[in-house]
Amino acid sequence: MSTTVLDLPEPGRPPSDLDPQEYLAALMRWHFSTETGSAFWLRRVRGLEFDPIADVRTFDDLRLFPNVVDEFRDVPVEDLIPRGLTGADRAIAGVYESGGTTGRPKRFVMFDRWMEFALGWDEAHYTPLGQANVLAVAPSGPHMFGEFARRRARRHDGVLFSVDLDPRWIKALLGRGDTEESERYVAHVVDQAAHVLRTQTVGVLITTPPLLERLSRHDDLVEIIRKDVRYICWSGAHLDADTRDLFRDELFPGIPLKGLYGSTTILGMSRERDVERADGLAAFDPPSPYIAFRVVDPATGDDVADEQRGQVVMNHLTKYALIPNNLERDHALRIAPPPGWLGASVADVGPVATFADSPVIEGVY
Amino acid sequence: MDATLPAATTALAAAGTVQIDALGVMGPYRSRSRVPLTSVSGAPIGEISQVPALYVRRTLAAMRAAPVVPADERLAAMERAADVFATATIGGFDPDGYVELVSTASGVPRAVVRQSVEWITDVLRSQREVLELARPTGAVGDWRDGRTYAGSAVWARRGDLFAVHAAGNTPAVHGLWPEALALGYKVVVRPSSREPYTAFRLVTALREAGFPPATITLLPTDHGVADVIIGESDFAIVYGGQDVVDKYGAIPTVLPQGPGRSKILVTADVDWREKIDLIAGSVSHLGGTACTCTTAVLVEGDPAPLAEALAQRLGRIPSLPADDPQAILTVQPTASVVEIDRYLHRIAGNARPLLGGDTIVDELPGGGAVLRPAVHLVDSATAPQLGVELPFPCVWIGPWRPSDGLAPLRDTLVLTAMTTRGELIDALLDDPTITNVYVGDHPTTWLRPGVPHDGYLADVLMRTKGMIRSA
Repeated sequence: MSTTVLDLPEPGRPPSDLDPQEYLAALMRWHFSTETGSAFWLRRVRGLEFDPIADVRTFDDLRLFPNVVDEFRDVPVEDLIPRGLTGADRAIAGVYESGGTTGRPKRFVMFDRWMEFALGWDEAHYTPLGQANVLAVAPSGPHMFGEFARRRARRHDGVLFSVDLDPRWIKALLGRGDTEESERYVAHVVDQAAHVLRTQTVGVLITTPPLLERLSRHDDLVEIIRKDVRYICWSGAHLDADTRDLFRDELFPGIPLKGLYGSTTILGMSRERDVERADGLAAFDPPSPYIAFRVVDPATGDDVADEQRGQVVMNHLTKYALIPNNLERDHALRIAPPPGWLGASVADVGPVATFADSPVIEGVY
Repeated sequence: MDATLPAATTALAAAGTVQIDALGVMGPYRSRSRVPLTSVSGAPIGEISQVPALYVRRTLAAMRAAPVVPADERLAAMERAADVFATATIGGFDPDGYVELVSTASGVPRAVVRQSVEWITDVLRSQREVLELARPTGAVGDWRDGRTYAGSAVWARRGDLFAVHAAGNTPAVHGLWPEALALGYKVVVRPSSREPYTAFRLVTALREAGFPPATITLLPTDHGVADVIIGESDFAIVYGGQDVVDKYGAIPTVLPQGPGRSKILVTADVDWREKIDLIAGSVSHLGGTACTCTTAVLVEGDPAPLAEALAQRLGRIPSLPADDPQAILTVQPTASVVEIDRYLHRIAGNARPLLGGDTIVDELPGGGAVLRPAVHLVDSATAPQLGVELPFPCVWIGPWRPSDGLAPLRDTLVLTAMTTRGELIDALLDDPTITNVYVGDHPTTWLRPGVPHDGYLADVLMRTKGMIRSA
């Protein structure tokens, strides 16, 4: 079977002239053929009410798949490895876990070649930087983010300074309403990051918007970042347009502030679009056709129209893994993807909008 | 007063073009995140910015870094601000246009808005006197006072930043916090999203009168970010319902302004018949929207005749649009009024309705509905309804006997005691849950700058420090 259509492009080159239908057909053959598919999918296909090779022709047909990621909590990771991977393709970068905010974590196998491609998805943003050290104030541990940061530093002939952020612990603290302890934990993380910034030269800062805001409360750290840091990468949390403006215009003028929106369940990220939107929101393009989003009405599951809000559905579609039709908890604005791309691009990614002003009847205020 | 609307104002408001921006340290700030401003009839008025937490924190940090305006300059500026607030055109609104806008937006009758404007103006003009009254007699206001050579107390601030989480039911809520500004605190106001116009006008007036922007700011936010303002300030005054009192009650630096549950007690030695207009006025003053409005009347003897007379008085108040010069009653969106009516029915239970028992909803042809007064009779001084305060003239009448003691009179912002019994007045003053005691012919809604409403703010915001110095 020819699988060249499934091969990743050379680093720095876009996947040119890929026919989406041809790609999907080859992908289904790969994952659901005995010689190349993973033990997980070859077992799981027996419970499907359709034949993926015959029935999945278009991007929309991926909706036939059930959401299987919950099964990734228990499946042995060996079962997730497609048998068709050999040689350098088979080299594993690591096994990474989801945040674990909705129960026990899910595990995913990250292959080295895919990881290098995924890391390079927003390479153009970094190309002008040259040599640089990286400070990542972000989840390491079982999460893929830390390894991406390490590889980022390597690409810049720099070293990685790393301050671990344990998202599960923060969620546990917030889940039981212990805001004081979570504040202490965040202060502990910020103190460690401050120590790195004050003693080392950091060219690339990788962190979440809330932690960037915490760092910004210290005038001396703002000065250091302005002086040393040449690129700020944010990810992992919502960033509203007003705060984004303040970071870019008032706090860190002239320093590129670019986001990544990703998930362990897609083993990668979408990159921030360079064309600014009028509403000031960061827009994200996934590496189609390898990762493709849709944005759906939570009530009906149907795609929402462009510039409408809905819930994000993610698909990872490579020969390294098949993770289709996964409804994420995030909500986002659907925006038109670049021409010819699968699915949707997104903006204003975050939790469900809540309206705090609820009517209180008793009392006069 | 002319009943026609000022043309420019109406056109502006009708076009939905009013923009309420933050007034930050560096000037006005319009955030991308904005929510609509509407009138009680649902007509668009404009938009109000919703600033993010990052902007709040940076603003508060800059305010902390700013110098305190010297006392004399502060007090002089407040007097000038009173004139600006009362007479100037601010944000395109002259005084009449502003009153009109508040009335249209909040459903508060124009006459009530005007009363509130006068109250705020009085408050601004009287701060010099208020500070003199609030300061302990052992303390000097300025350490340079010669009394410190011999040793004396100096009055000193406990903090630097004072936050106001305002409400929109009556502009009069802005009559309390100017005292904090007079004391030398820097003040950050988080306005109501329903009626931010008074806060905007007052903050602008104070700036025009000479307060540097870093000493008085306006930060419109959602409720989540409002918590950041409260949390990051040294002290805060927060308006809200019982939920707000419960949320902040245990935090000593937050002064919750919740339900007032103000009451009138009439003992048997007093003939209530001469006071019925005063009692009715206590219930309906400011459209029943203030925490000083009477919620319960307790009568020694048969309360029914008083209840009937009160129902008759309150029943005569006409239903009018809020912008009618004769209007007394508050107007709200019909859906809200229907919801309040439903709540009233549920809470009323076995109380005997003498007014408003069928419905308090009176829909207006031009949109919105008037909240008609309600009078209910309960059969016991311990009836739970006596503590139910609703945002319109809603009063519960019940019996009281000396053997009931103080319990039915507790948890009261203002208690008007129509009595000649000195020991009873002593006991009321000794009760820690009764905030103010008025005796005789004074409505619960009586207020005067210099007479505390919830203590002097200075009781909380200031302390004394010992000082002695050499010449």
